[in-house]
Amino acid sequence: MSDAELRVPFPQRAGAALKDAFLQEALTIATTKFIDLRKEAFAGFPAGEALRDQARRIKEATLQRLDAHLGRLADNVERLGGHVHWASTGAEAREIVLRLCRERGVRTVVKSKSMATEEIDLNEALEGAGVTPIETDLGEYIIQLAGEKPSHIIAPAIHKTKGQVAELFSKALDGRFAADPEVLTAAARKELRQKFLDADMGITGANFAVAETGTVVLVTNEGNGRMVTSLPRVHVAVMGMEKVIPSMTDLMVFLAILARSATGQQLSSYTTLVRGPRQPGELEGPEEFHLILLDSGRIRQIAGPLREALYCLRCGACLNVCPVYRQIGGHAYGHTYPGPIGILLTAMLRGTESVKELAHASTLCGACKDVCPVRIDIPRMLIELREHVDQEKVAPWAERAMFRAARRIMSSPALFRMGARVGRLLQAPWVRGGRVRRLPLFLGRWTATRDLPPVAQRTFSERWKDLAGGPPGDGRRGRRAP
Amino acid sequence: MTTRAEFLGRVGEEMRKTPGLFPAETAERPARPGEAAEAVRRQMAERWPQALERFIREFERVAGIFHRVRGMAEVPGVIRAIAHERGARELVTWAPGVLGVDLRESLGADGLTVTPAPAGADEAARLRHREEAARAGIGVTGADLALAETGTLILLSGAGRPRSTSLLPETHVAVFGRPAMVESLEQVGILLEELHVDPARSMSGAVITFITGPSRTADIELTLTRGVHGPKYVHAIFVDE
Repeated sequence: MSDAELRVPFPQRAGAALKDAFLQEALTIATTKFIDLRKEAFAGFPAGEALRDQARRIKEATLQRLDAHLGRLADNVERLGGHVHWASTGAEAREIVLRLCRERGVRTVVKSKSMATEEIDLNEALEGAGVTPIETDLGEYIIQLAGEKPSHIIAPAIHKTKGQVAELFSKALDGRFAADPEVLTAAARKELRQKFLDADMGITGANFAVAETGTVVLVTNEGNGRMVTSLPRVHVAVMGMEKVIPSMTDLMVFLAILARSATGQQLSSYTTLVRGPRQPGELEGPEEFHLILLDSGRIRQIAGPLREALYCLRCGACLNVCPVYRQIGGHAYGHTYPGPIGILLTAMLRGTESVKELAHASTLCGACKDVCPVRIDIPRMLIELREHVDQEKVAPWAERAMFRAARRIMSSPALFRMGARVGRLLQAPWVRGGRVRRLPLFLGRWTATRDLPPVAQRTFSERWKDLAGGPPGDGRRGRRAP
Repeated sequence: MTTRAEFLGRVGEEMRKTPGLFPAETAERPARPGEAAEAVRRQMAERWPQALERFIREFERVAGIFHRVRGMAEVPGVIRAIAHERGARELVTWAPGVLGVDLRESLGADGLTVTPAPAGADEAARLRHREEAARAGIGVTGADLALAETGTLILLSGAGRPRSTSLLPETHVAVFGRPAMVESLEQVGILLEELHVDPARSMSGAVITFITGPSRTADIELTLTRGVHGPKYVHAIFVDE
């Protein structure tokens, strides 16, 4: 999303999404389907739960020796004839790619879907340098033609109808196309086939990189990842540094749960293990292989509050189950990574300031943690993020004052009891039909979007006192022994 | 530009600030990959029939088309039928020495053009074969492993084993036999560990591809569509003998 669009506050962005009837329907259908597919995949896979635990342990263990694994990965990639680049920032990663393009006279680049290159705004940089980037994942291709950004980590164009896609294709390609996924897919196949054959450079992300063998692993369904890593003369993989895993044995654990979590497949159509450039005697494959390892805020979270978010496999399962994502979709979040994990990743990559609103875009229901293949405790980190946003005085003063007052009241029984009595008096003019529907002053911002239950005429502890004849907690069934 | 030393130095510095979230270990790798892989092969020498049954079920579940023949001599007949069904006139194949069968003679008589992967790997051969593969309707490869629990074909690239044979043609046909059968991803992990003990000797190429059914997408309104960039049809021919 552009800076101009980001200047629209999050509540307005979300509000616009809520009013978009088509988006609402598309989101419901897509997320529900993904949820069902995932559920089915794990239901028929009794080993799944233990594998999730193990995958979590592997991620944590890898972080505990991360420098050694990264060093080993780099050694092995170089031993195979590949080149490793270290990028502290997105700008540096972009510069590395642009330099490679300049030095090798690259005019067109074919890309397979990569959130890391979305994150560093690589396409804009390439275009600015006179290089044509072509997204080849069907969903990414569609949104590139539309001049938009992905709205879902694994299904980037779920917000588009087939009618809209047909219109886009009819405008951009030669011919008129029916609003039929089969027809449109065939059109993209034909159009992109030639691009694969003509391109000078292929750019991918990486789902994993195996340190012991120097292997970059790509998990895809369409086959474009294979094209991009086989046909152009240069292959560049851009990867967040946390994606390294130690061994092939570890890789099998992740493969067993990744596709199941993302699309409900046992394995995706293609899992491609790439070890450096074309080897001697091999007919095909790139002459050059480059691996760009990206920091961009990740390293400081190794010992930071968002460490656990470094486990993320980018499967998108937490998006589908999130009641907030299901309502507003990916674009309203305003950053590369949407959904519950996206809030944490945005904080990691762009700083806490950038999520002062988003930190609250969660009901803390915990569904994300339940489906996460590596059981990332997203709600815990969201709560901590809210606390941090508050302590850093990023949140507005009124909000901070309210929460400070609430904390005082809720942590003292006497104040809490008094609060109930005061609340009953103060709320009287605002209660209508058993709900508080409108509050005065800035408090009205709360009731503008939801009702508040009023303080009960008699609170639970007051009623309990009568029932039990004393304070709660000292009678097993609410009655004291005679 | 950030150097490796700076980057890893920063990683190390942060690591020293924290013991981590909990004590954890990575997956246990086989101490002697060669022996572990040998054990897998011994297991599979007995259990391959059950594995094959499972493979057929899973392979068909991901829209693969399965064939079984008694010997290599029957393979050309199956491929001829597939070519006929798809209206394909041109085929590319892995090198006959790798594939275990030379289809040129048997299929050439039917007016089909069969082009095996060239022996050389020079620029001219590369460009020529790329055109041939892009034109071909069918690509015939072997399969180094056939993974039963997911219906997956696993192919190693290398000399005489171009990557494009299983990628560019609309139909991919993989020919394999008992020695390729494995049951689980765990076994695949052991075999891959063995393969990487001395990869310069065990692999002549840079890529290992897991293929689970045809190329697919659901990017337009979540409608499942096959053959977006890779093959639309994937056949497996299992050769007894």
